[in-house]
Amino acid sequence: MNAAAKHSQAMHFHARAGEKVRNPALQRALQKARPLFVGKRQKGLASLAEDGLDFTNLRSTAENIRNRVLADLDVWLELFEERATASGAEVMWARDGDEVARLVVEIAQKHGVRKVTKSKSMLSEEARLNEALSAAGIRPVETDLGEYIVQLAGEPPSHIIAPAVHKSIGEVEALFAEEHGRPQQARTSADIPAMAREAREVLRQHFLSADMGISGANFLIAETGSAALVTNEGNGRMVTTLPRVHVVVTGIEKLLPTLEDFATLMRLLPRSATGQSISNYVSLLTGTRARDVGALTPGPSPAGRGEMGAPLHDGQVPEGPEKTVFILVDNGRANLLGSAYQDMLRCIRCGACMNHCPVYFSLGGHAYGWVYPGPMGSVLTPLYTGIENALDLPHASTGCGHCADVCPVGIPLPSLMHRLKEEQLARGLRPWSERLALRVWAWVAGRPRLYRWLTRRVARYLDWLADGTGRIRIFGLAPAWTAERDLPVAAGKTFHELYAAQKRK
Amino acid sequence: MRLALYVTCLVDLMRPSIGFASLRLLEALGAEVVVPEGQTCCGQPAWSAGNRALASDLAKQAIAELEGFDHVVIPSGSCTDQIRHVYPQLFADDPLWLPRAQALAARTHELASFLADIGKLAQPLVEFSGNVTYHDSCKGLRQLGIKRQPRELLLKVQGLTLKEMPDCEECCGFGGAFSVQFGDISARIVDRKCEAIAATGADAVVGGDLGCLLNIEGRLRRRGDEKTRVLHIAEVLAGGAAE
Repeated sequence: MNAAAKHSQAMHFHARAGEKVRNPALQRALQKARPLFVGKRQKGLASLAEDGLDFTNLRSTAENIRNRVLADLDVWLELFEERATASGAEVMWARDGDEVARLVVEIAQKHGVRKVTKSKSMLSEEARLNEALSAAGIRPVETDLGEYIVQLAGEPPSHIIAPAVHKSIGEVEALFAEEHGRPQQARTSADIPAMAREAREVLRQHFLSADMGISGANFLIAETGSAALVTNEGNGRMVTTLPRVHVVVTGIEKLLPTLEDFATLMRLLPRSATGQSISNYVSLLTGTRARDVGALTPGPSPAGRGEMGAPLHDGQVPEGPEKTVFILVDNGRANLLGSAYQDMLRCIRCGACMNHCPVYFSLGGHAYGWVYPGPMGSVLTPLYTGIENALDLPHASTGCGHCADVCPVGIPLPSLMHRLKEEQLARGLRPWSERLALRVWAWVAGRPRLYRWLTRRVARYLDWLADGTGRIRIFGLAPAWTAERDLPVAAGKTFHELYAAQKRK
Repeated sequence: MRLALYVTCLVDLMRPSIGFASLRLLEALGAEVVVPEGQTCCGQPAWSAGNRALASDLAKQAIAELEGFDHVVIPSGSCTDQIRHVYPQLFADDPLWLPRAQALAARTHELASFLADIGKLAQPLVEFSGNVTYHDSCKGLRQLGIKRQPRELLLKVQGLTLKEMPDCEECCGFGGAFSVQFGDISARIVDRKCEAIAATGADAVVGGDLGCLLNIEGRLRRRGDEKTRVLHIAEVLAGGAAE
């Protein structure tokens, strides 16, 4: 069992889903959020047209950029390492989540770090980084508002861009009252700005006192050795510039060759995620704080943070951390290169697939059992934690195809789920009863005369069960159907039977 | 024009009236319509379960049964998608069957799109008095691009008013085996559809895929809605639905 699988609950998807569909508070939160996500993306795409851009064309350009990176990933990674190192950062490599956790704790200990501020990073969830830091006596503080809320609740995020989407205002208020040491108040959505301000004040103290910042990266830019960070709350800037040490933890597939490629992807990422034409903050983080003006050398690798590539001008204060470390993580990604699932590595983590998924919005993210929920999770969780450890996920889809339709990098999510289903069957991982039922059914369907005879009998049987009402309320052969629905049935004869009789007349 | 009507296994067993309505509509175009006798199931359940071998066996049977017509018409977007897009995938490495699968795929059409675009149905066969709302089934909408055609046809029906629901393109939660494997999740999804239908105040919800319609009707009735009719578009255009 690999490191990721140890902590996955994906095998219990069905049981967890059963709890989620029966949780009215969760259902209310999800039904409130769904139209917002969908509506915002629609507006975002409409704004593309205002700029004279077309989603379909842009998507195929983005798809090509991502494919170009994946075709020569090793080359781009080497270039990134070279440029990042030249600009003063250190580049480390981690095979899996455990190794990420070990490296981060080592870096923290080496620099005498007691408190870490974190900007949103799903990879740090893959690595269970907060747990590892806490175990080493280092306090991790999540600074994205949603992440801050779920950290207080002791929960993992339930959505990749809206981690606390499953929480009601009342639940957040209870968490804040306890953490911030004040009495609980009645809250409505009008109080959200005040509650955000309250969190901001608390977080400000953490920003100023943290010794190390940990962020993810939305993209890595090979030509400049930079991390690109896309955020809305400004916390990302605080985390990556205030502490002495900044650690970027990100997947090896996040590379883009050039800044121009980044500009193309940025037309799609915020629009697909939150509908914004651009996020409130876009940071390109390169190298470390310049020691002095003399240390800066002009060239392709910009040194120092501030104006990209330009030397510090008079009076400009060098900013940024003294030490920047990139930890580039495999954790199952390299295995997908050259495989039937390589398309999945194009993912830019916008969340559009889950935002348009009927299954996700019936359950929320926690039911999926590992880091990534929704359609992307139904593909990534089996691939990163083992197909045998997430058997339900590829089947937990209506096949509606909405996810593939909205994906900004053209990932054929339903086809990838389908491949996983084929692989489950080929490896003997499906229950024998399911395999037998399918074989018997196909055997009968392959014999039209027998099939006609049998369907006539079934039609009679259904009619008998319906007892003249036109519907069956409890159907023993498919109890899951009639648990919450009737089964409407026709009047006891099949089409082919009736048609044959009609022709005889 | 010589047409084959593929009624689908679900229509055959669960609602023959859709098959007869489809037949009347195609005959109204002046076409010769044949219902090939050996048809059973297109094999989609096997494909969806990840069983390529069984899906291929049933695909071969359907190809042999349905080739040789000018067009094959199916009152289901989902089964049409299976023949149009999955059959050629199944035989991608089979030089004998691939051309046959591709030829059939090119001639296979979902009923509403066929009536609107190829058959050019001038006038529906019956009138309908009341408001209807249309549910876009996923495979028809996203894999076959069917959106305009059913609406064009419905608007030709005397006495019918189309009242669109928001989220008419949202999945109803059927998903074939999904609705049985994950019945509780499916029920939450179809609840949203039921609420959207109720909000339009329509007398009937109309769709092009019986699977979705059984799911929607089953949940509407269980929720206590005895009034809203759930109809296949063929039944609206040609009548014959049970009252």
